[in-house]
Amino acid sequence: MAKETTEVEVVNKYGLHARPAMQLVELASSFQSKVEVSNGTLSVDAKSIMSVMRLAATKGTKLTIITDGQDASEACQAVRELIESGFGQLETGETDNMAPQA
Amino acid sequence: MKLADIMVYQAIIPRLQATTRDGVIAELVESLADAGAIAKKNTSEIVKAVIARENQATTGIGKGVALPHRKLKQVKSPVGTIGLSSEGIDFGALDAKPVYTVILLLSNPDDPDGHLQAMETIFKHVQRDMFRKFLRQSETREAIIDLIVEADELG
Amino acid sequence: MIIKKGIGVSPGVAICQAAVVDAEDFDIPLRHVSADLAQAEITRLRQSIVLSKKELQDLSKRTADRIGKETAGIFDFHLTLVEDKALLKKFIDSITTEHVSAEYAVATVLRGYAKEFLAMPEYLAERVKDVYDIEKRLLRNLIGQKRQSLSHLQQDVIVLAHDLTPSQTANIDRAHVMGLGIDAGGATSHTAIVARAMGIPAVVGLNDVAAEVTAGDVVIVDGNRGVVVIDPSEAAIADYRKLAKQQVEFHLSLDAIRDLPATTQDGHEITLLGNIEFPDETESVIANGGEGIGLYRTEFLYLGTNSEPTEQQHYRAYRKVIKLVGNRSVVIRTADLGADKYTQSRARIPERNPFLGCRSIRFCMQNIPMFKTQIRAILRAAMDADVSMLFPLVTNLLELRQAKTIIRDVMEDLEEEGIEFRHDIPIGMMVETPSAALQADAFAREVDFFSIGTNDLVQYTLAVDRGNEKVAYLFSEANPAVLRLIKEVVRTGQRQGVPVTLCGEMGGDPLYTLLLMGLGLRSFSCSPPVIPEVKKVIRSVTMEHARQVARRVMSFDSAKETVNFLRAELRNVMPEGLMD
Repeated sequence: MAKETTEVEVVNKYGLHARPAMQLVELASSFQSKVEVSNGTLSVDAKSIMSVMRLAATKGTKLTIITDGQDASEACQAVRELIESGFGQLETGETDNMAPQA
Repeated sequence: MKLADIMVYQAIIPRLQATTRDGVIAELVESLADAGAIAKKNTSEIVKAVIARENQATTGIGKGVALPHRKLKQVKSPVGTIGLSSEGIDFGALDAKPVYTVILLLSNPDDPDGHLQAMETIFKHVQRDMFRKFLRQSETREAIIDLIVEADELG
Repeated sequence: MIIKKGIGVSPGVAICQAAVVDAEDFDIPLRHVSADLAQAEITRLRQSIVLSKKELQDLSKRTADRIGKETAGIFDFHLTLVEDKALLKKFIDSITTEHVSAEYAVATVLRGYAKEFLAMPEYLAERVKDVYDIEKRLLRNLIGQKRQSLSHLQQDVIVLAHDLTPSQTANIDRAHVMGLGIDAGGATSHTAIVARAMGIPAVVGLNDVAAEVTAGDVVIVDGNRGVVVIDPSEAAIADYRKLAKQQVEFHLSLDAIRDLPATTQDGHEITLLGNIEFPDETESVIANGGEGIGLYRTEFLYLGTNSEPTEQQHYRAYRKVIKLVGNRSVVIRTADLGADKYTQSRARIPERNPFLGCRSIRFCMQNIPMFKTQIRAILRAAMDADVSMLFPLVTNLLELRQAKTIIRDVMEDLEEEGIEFRHDIPIGMMVETPSAALQADAFAREVDFFSIGTNDLVQYTLAVDRGNEKVAYLFSEANPAVLRLIKEVVRTGQRQGVPVTLCGEMGGDPLYTLLLMGLGLRSFSCSPPVIPEVKKVIRSVTMEHARQVARRVMSFDSAKETVNFLRAELRNVMPEGLMD
């Protein structure tokens, strides 16, 4: 049983809004390990969307990922990549109708 | 309902001959009969009925306008006409002033809503200062008809 | 403890648990559930979640098919919310540890999240809408067909809502609703009117009280000062309890004069009548010593339903009032529709300025068949009864004459049909605009009575929307311009033998009773609960005193001077009449 932890910064424009939050939850849920995300003040279960939203993570927020379990290191890596890549969204031009309207 | 749906263009009288209230009513009713909107044989009954109602309560609602009207079995659907008098007629109006524009409306008692809609339309236009003014100033039947069409378009 | 300021629209103090209502009429009852029933609640909750998930999956698929995957995304998001295991755990914990119903657990937990989200940066805060959506969905599936509604409550509550529809307000369970706190609405909204009529303390214009309260919170509604206190401190509760007690004592003291006449010390008789919105309130008028109905606002017959009331429905309502009132008089005002939100929201093209737009008698004259239905019902109901007809918002003579023409036509129809009706029904008009007041002498020749509607008269004369918090401070019945108009109308009525009644809120405010009597008014119609207070003032003074007060007041230049003076006068006569 391993425990992994890493830090990552939120890079996408609107932060952890609806769609990215969903993606994070989906990804975290695909792993057997516990996955926690913390914004410094609050630490939440990344498999719970309500909890993730409570982080109020905007662009630039630094998050700490803590995974614990058999697939802890895979989980940690995958989650970090997801956040670092801006959740697969391009900074400009990508349409996302769940993103805030201008 | 539009004014055009009610007013019988052929029966419009730009210059009334009669000078009294009852005379004007008779003239307008006859005019409707001449235009084929009501049966000739009914005219005297209709005239009596309209006058009787006018006696109960004047339809001279002020601002130079009178709206004699009556629901009668002899009439199939709402029909109306307009008569103008430049000298003015004594209708015992509520503002005690002479009447220069008389709008007659006849309807069928079995269609009270139709009658009320016709009244609503007439009221709506009569309330407009411009409508009353232009109507009173009209010299010919065509001018009055134009005014009616324009008024309907305004809504 | 959170203190929220709004507009006090119905006096009194209530201290109670909150019931929070949303637009779909859900009351979230604080239902205590014993430990052994907790399991059943959890099962209900799970079933609701299953149902909700299925609904969302269907919605997502249909939307994706019809519109596109992007748009369907929102339902996928909701699905994720509903499937959230941590959320479920919170629900279950709430049920088992707090011993509450599934509905209550859902509402409290989700609103807890909502509160948090509201505090976040804007675009994240937007997600609060989704939380409310989930709540509605889960609740709907929990409650199913049997909705807990405001009309059947289990216990005493203070109702808090963003807004209440007329039908919700109309159907309130009066036995259990102790107070109202509403985000929307102004002082003359139907909520305000109904609350006053029912004697329920109410505050409107609170902006977002519903979001800040959780069902079951203790809440204080102070309808006098226009304040709502959420989760009050011990000290605040103690203070308010004292205030409430004082009010109860005062009202008990008024019971003693209920059946006594409204006569001044020097023998002048004043007629005190009641304003009603619903037939049932007639009983309240009589119970409070009212001598009749001075104003029956009939628009609630239209506002409470989706379709236009039939002639029979009108007729039944009027006959009910007549029956309840015995041989006392009833003034039925034709529908004052058009400026209200509900008519506007159904209009094809909502008006930009409905207050100055097609409302009241204008609305009726542009919908004559609808108007006719009401008139027929009034004429028929008035048979063998002391009933009068009153037109709202008449502003010009032509309009009045046209309306009377319609009345005559309708009478003719009834005659034709051989239906009995009251031929000689008195017809009056509301004087509630400067134009009506200034031309009162011309109008006096064509109506049988005047009814001064001060609520609208003040608004139109001072050009102030009373419900607009930015300018509400300018609204004052004591404004000299308003007083002059009232005086003129009363004088004209006296000169031409036309009876004048004052039926706006001003007539029910003891502060103005002396002044209005002094100006010559002898007939007031007000909200039933305040009739005894007004009567007490009348019985405690002489007409001579009233005239002196009026003379002084008419020499003042400002509303403030007038109000201060009147307060001092009232303090001498009936100190408890000053409620703050």
